[in-house]
Amino acid sequence: MAITYDVLKSVTSQMYARSLRAVPADAKKALAGARTRETNPVARNTLDLMVANATAAEERGHFLCSDSGVPTYQIRVGTQARFDGDVKRAIRDGFAELVAASDPPLLKHVTNPLTNERGHAGKDMPIVTFDLVDGADDVEIICSPKALGSGRWAALEIFTFPSIAEIEEYIMKVVLTAGSQACPPVVVGVGIGGTFDYATKLAKESVVRPIGQSHPEPLIADMEKRLLEAVNKTGFGPMGTGGATTAMAVHVDYASGHGFTPVAVCFNCWIDRRTRVRISNDGTVTETE
Amino acid sequence: MAEIRDIELPADEHLVRELRAGDLVRLTGEIVISAGLPAYRRLLSELHQGIAPPLGLRGRALFHVGSLGEEAGGEYRLRYLNPTTSTRFNAEMPELIRGLGIRFAGGKGGLGDESAAAMRDIGCVYLSFLGGGCTLLSDAIRRVTAVHWTEMVEHYRLVRVEVERLGPLTVGIDTHGASIYRDLRDDAQARLPDILSGLAEAREIR
Repeated sequence: MAITYDVLKSVTSQMYARSLRAVPADAKKALAGARTRETNPVARNTLDLMVANATAAEERGHFLCSDSGVPTYQIRVGTQARFDGDVKRAIRDGFAELVAASDPPLLKHVTNPLTNERGHAGKDMPIVTFDLVDGADDVEIICSPKALGSGRWAALEIFTFPSIAEIEEYIMKVVLTAGSQACPPVVVGVGIGGTFDYATKLAKESVVRPIGQSHPEPLIADMEKRLLEAVNKTGFGPMGTGGATTAMAVHVDYASGHGFTPVAVCFNCWIDRRTRVRISNDGTVTETE
Repeated sequence: MAEIRDIELPADEHLVRELRAGDLVRLTGEIVISAGLPAYRRLLSELHQGIAPPLGLRGRALFHVGSLGEEAGGEYRLRYLNPTTSTRFNAEMPELIRGLGIRFAGGKGGLGDESAAAMRDIGCVYLSFLGGGCTLLSDAIRRVTAVHWTEMVEHYRLVRVEVERLGPLTVGIDTHGASIYRDLRDDAQARLPDILSGLAEAREIR
């Protein structure tokens, strides 16, 4: 048995469509929790609107946001997984098919970075990364379309032997720069160490981690907890018009590296766009998020 | 629940000057929307050259809001609209607010201090839309009255659309010099040393 081109094409295409129309269950829960804690009436109104918009979009199969962004896929391939057909072409073809069939249609957000020409397709689009998972006989796919609102405020700096205090100060600096603009309450993803590219990869993987799932190492789990509290002390609040909920979660991961330590920070907006699916060798498709 | 004020467009300067940062409003009437940086740059460049915009914007609402339209049966219909990040237009907006004499600016994420100063002088407020509020905000669409600059991609065009009870929208910047965005940014900046010492304490407790 093998994972076929057809299955990959339809699954990745549907994941993108679903990401645009539904807020993940854990994010919905986080928004509802924030609503009970907020005392600021404008913040409460905004959180109510978010929840109402999420419900309406889901019920009517409409988009939550007009910025469908660029589709990105993180793919974790089990070493025992078998493929029948061209994996990358399947994803590209699935995206093209979705663009052609989408109702309502997608706006043209895919941009040539040198000419600023906009369309629905382009070089290296969708953006896909691959990892290997030893022993697994399936493939896990995470789709997380990235729009300008939250995508714009990701940042990276490379330090030399930084203290944890310096790392945390930098994360706060990035959060303050994003301020009201990243459509808070956000999820903050942080990657520390490795190399220039690896730190950003860790940040992106962290940002899609389910809300409520702490890092397994207590040192990092504590860092996540205190950073979440610190981010919420900034007071930006829902949509940055004031309140106690600027972030729903802060997720951190790290890798060993040299003494030059990159720290990457990225954001997901309140919609927290992401879907996660597992496809087994026998073609079974399981939506896990 | 906070009170929501219903406003009919066009609204006169007096009414706009009554609004305060933090107020919630709903709009009924014609607004003009575009999410395109090229569109705002073109407006500014034509303003510099003394070319009149394709529609009168004096006393009107011009929002950083994108839309998707479809031509059906000889009629142009909007399928959806939704705000974009206003700070992208920080460079263009101060002059556009003054030069075009608009009464309402808006989108999401706020505008800078120079825009706020222009708004105070002209009598214009900034309205914050729900980012990612596409489904609900689109319910307010009544009909498209005109589309200008159709040579651009859809969300870049200047679209005149009649809306009914659009919102609630939050007044983010008022005509009295109050900007929620500037105040929150300054507050957060001022509080940063405390937040960082809080982080240091939390690290030690562990």
